Amino acid sequence: MMEALNGLLSGFGVILTPANLYLCFLGSLIGTLVGVLPGVGPLAALALLLPVTFTLSPIGGMVMLASIFYGAMYGGSTTSILLNIPGEAASVVTCIDGHQMARQGRAGPALGIAAIGSFIAGTLGVVIMTFFAPAIAAAAIRFGPPENFALMVLGLICTLFMISGSTIKGVLMIALGFLTATVGLDVVNGRERYTFSSVDLSGGIELLALVIGLFGVAEILSNVETMAKTTLLADRIRGLWPSLADWHASWRAILRGSGLGFVLGLVPGGGPVTAAFMSYALEKRIAAQPDRFGKGAIEGVAGPESANNSAVAGSLIPVLSLGIPSNPVTALLLGALIIQGIQPGPLFIAQRPDLFWGIVASMYIGNVFLLLLNLPLVGLWVQFLRIPYRVMFPVVLLLCVVGTYSANKNVFDLWVMLGFGVTGYVLRKLEYDLAPFVIAFVLAPLLEQSLRQSLVMSSDGAMILIKRPVTALLLAASVALTFLMFRRRTKTEGGLP
Amino acid sequence: MFERTLNVFWIVLGASSAVYAWSLGMIGPAGPESGLFPFIASIIVSGAGIVLLLRPATHARALDFPQGGSLWRVLGVILGLIVMAVGMPYLGFSVTSFITMIILLRTVDRSSWISAVTLAFISTASVFWLFGQMLGMALPRGPWGW
Amino acid sequence: MKWAGIAYALVVALLSAPAGAQGDPKAEVAKLKPKDFPTQPIEFTVVYPAGGGMDVSARLLAKHVENLSGDRIIVNNRTGGAGMVGHSYLATQAKPDGYTVGVIASLLWGDAMLRAQGRWSFTDLEPIAYVNSDALIWVGSTEGPYKGMSIKDVVNAAKDKPNTIRVATVPGSMWDYILDQIEANSGAKFLRVPFQGGGAGITALVGGNVDIAQGFYSEFRGHLEGGKVAPLAVAAAGRLDYLKDMPTFNEAFGSNEYLWQLVRYAVVPKGTPADRKAYLAAAVQTAMKDPELIAEYRKQGVFFDPKLQNSKDLTADLNAYAEVERQFYVKTGRLK
Repeated sequence: MMEALNGLLSGFGVILTPANLYLCFLGSLIGTLVGVLPGVGPLAALALLLPVTFTLSPIGGMVMLASIFYGAMYGGSTTSILLNIPGEAASVVTCIDGHQMARQGRAGPALGIAAIGSFIAGTLGVVIMTFFAPAIAAAAIRFGPPENFALMVLGLICTLFMISGSTIKGVLMIALGFLTATVGLDVVNGRERYTFSSVDLSGGIELLALVIGLFGVAEILSNVETMAKTTLLADRIRGLWPSLADWHASWRAILRGSGLGFVLGLVPGGGPVTAAFMSYALEKRIAAQPDRFGKGAIEGVAGPESANNSAVAGSLIPVLSLGIPSNPVTALLLGALIIQGIQPGPLFIAQRPDLFWGIVASMYIGNVFLLLLNLPLVGLWVQFLRIPYRVMFPVVLLLCVVGTYSANKNVFDLWVMLGFGVTGYVLRKLEYDLAPFVIAFVLAPLLEQSLRQSLVMSSDGAMILIKRPVTALLLAASVALTFLMFRRRTKTEGGLP
Repeated sequence: MFERTLNVFWIVLGASSAVYAWSLGMIGPAGPESGLFPFIASIIVSGAGIVLLLRPATHARALDFPQGGSLWRVLGVILGLIVMAVGMPYLGFSVTSFITMIILLRTVDRSSWISAVTLAFISTASVFWLFGQMLGMALPRGPWGW
Repeated sequence: MKWAGIAYALVVALLSAPAGAQGDPKAEVAKLKPKDFPTQPIEFTVVYPAGGGMDVSARLLAKHVENLSGDRIIVNNRTGGAGMVGHSYLATQAKPDGYTVGVIASLLWGDAMLRAQGRWSFTDLEPIAYVNSDALIWVGSTEGPYKGMSIKDVVNAAKDKPNTIRVATVPGSMWDYILDQIEANSGAKFLRVPFQGGGAGITALVGGNVDIAQGFYSEFRGHLEGGKVAPLAVAAAGRLDYLKDMPTFNEAFGSNEYLWQLVRYAVVPKGTPADRKAYLAAAVQTAMKDPELIAEYRKQGVFFDPKLQNSKDLTADLNAYAEVERQFYVKTGRLK
């Protein structure tokens, strides 16, 4: 405990130099910008800016890259709320209630709560990191395929809670998401599935192209169809700050999101995207009136936006304490360290306390920078809604194209985006909820892979899932939740629709 | 009517996908094979399609698919995206997006030529600068080298 | 954002000011620069995700080539299909105009022979310079029932208790192939647990979910220093400098067929104009002689194959290695 505080203080000593502070601020700025731009996410930005870190000191480079990562989680909610177009995959759920709030003239409070929730969650995450990183890392490393599988199953069950409207259609979307995720290589044996001899398809469907298509292009198509209003927001904007009532509704969601996001950031295949979705499902599940969700419930913004921020802190623990990345962004951060000649591993904290604590300290400061940056910007962003849509949408469409292209520099992704755009547009008209499709698409690969790995690993087949305590616990929770869900649905809707 | 078609589509999609998944193999010595998960998912898709088809229509409202002007606007956006995807490898990003913006602004939006060209130029240039120069991303270049 | 751009440029300029007396190699390279080339940034294509071993090697190389030649180089990750998407792009779609350089690994050969189905061959990519090599290493845990065992002990244990020793593998590539060889030669039977890459297997090893993992030095170095893993054997021709106590597979089993290395080299698409190809080759080869780069690579744990480093005809030598691999595929029935 004391050791951690000492370390933290030394970290502040490292970070509080003009150069490092400047880099932290620069990273926060770039991160926010990258988050705001639809499609371009932290992964693309980090890959592009990696060469810049060559000329910086290791601490400077890492501080900048890390602040871009969590900065993007701040900015991602902006276009989600204002335009119903996600700034990146982790902000998809924010569109659902956030945009509804904007339509009700409450874009300001939505953006404000997103920023403040992000700050609280980000800071809480770093606090946990400060005191518990090594212990958590030691526990996290024991998470093997069976535990991953159980966690993914739990996540999938939670997805069922997210379904708004017809349950059957929701289940269909989940199954379709699963199916779409199998396009590409089967990781377990290297065989091609559903690729029809297309090399591009053998790489699988790019998540970003899918998300931007389903939520960005489809949204533009819908709006363009009804160009009745000239701006997205005909009414006056009601207030720029969250009201006391908003606070009352949100603070618990923020705390829950922080906790959930942190845990989900730790596990492989988790990360900010899964965290945001799960938080939304959780909030919807435990809300007193779940029907408010989808119509502008502020918990639907506060929870997910907090979750994706604390997930950043969570995902940094395995990579900094053990040298094990849990998602592509942290893999890139690891690469950046390696290029600098530093090899993170279990001895990283002991060998390079200046780096570890410097990064941790910078996260406290970075979150403050981001709060100071984003809150005043709320007023600016809200003005964007006044731009006539007919002028805005071509630019937004262009940004979507570039954002999607930035993922793999492959024009094929643009076709994927277009295809899903049209599909999303049609499905929306026919009242299909698209969010479960996306989360199933994200969870399916790891779920399938973990199950098959577990079965191979185990000497007695499926019994491994019961013999390992954490796995058994998570699976039991899934079963329990399923019962609860059906009970609730039958109660409120008088039978399965 | 559209709902019906879509439900039939789900059934057909699920069925054909299930057949393909079957050919990949279901269960092997080491547990599930490549085809098992897609097969289960496909069956669920088909099953859901059947259930939806058999349900009495719960809403009597006509499906408001776009007509006339709306339809053209929607098609205009789709056309714009097709132009981007087809043109970028050959003409490069800048030229293609300039053309696309003009198409969008003129057809979907009915701007005047002057405002269309101006806005197209400014937005293309800004995006190119932001991504190409500031972030250092390699946007495709056309035969002219930019 | 403008001042961010200025700041970036300032930082880069100030911190990467070229050292004065480097005239000679730079001048040599500059002499070969063709007229009107390059007018735009050159792309170094990496077919694996950012942050991985290949990516790190490529970025270090790009950094040095950029300093040496003064040209702007952008590293681009074209990922997907375990490298297949990127390899296909390089072999069939990349324009042979000198603006695309692939920094690839010898896994290209497997993709070309087994998965390209005649659409392209690895001869569609012309090697211009050798970068480095990484040899596959087997590591065990420092805890658990197999700790302290040598490689021979492990294989014997696998023979006595077939299908109980869990080995992390990456299906469809050399991780599997070396297992095939060992099992065929010794009668042992390992339980293969599939993962997406060597690194994931190392993670599983440290977490106690597999008993043996296969990977490259850079993937487990941190854990080695932390005392969590113990290297067992390396599939190279000779022992590695930094792991002198670890035998090679060939030593341990008295054979010469356990040679599984990743050879990293730079290529250009076939048909690149000769002058541009020569310039790029000179730039990369000169960068490879830079002691600073060599030191950085050594830190990654890669080694330099002397045959390829001093090769007079890189293409022929690489093709010779590829041919050995092809023979393996024919022998094991993967290729007709």
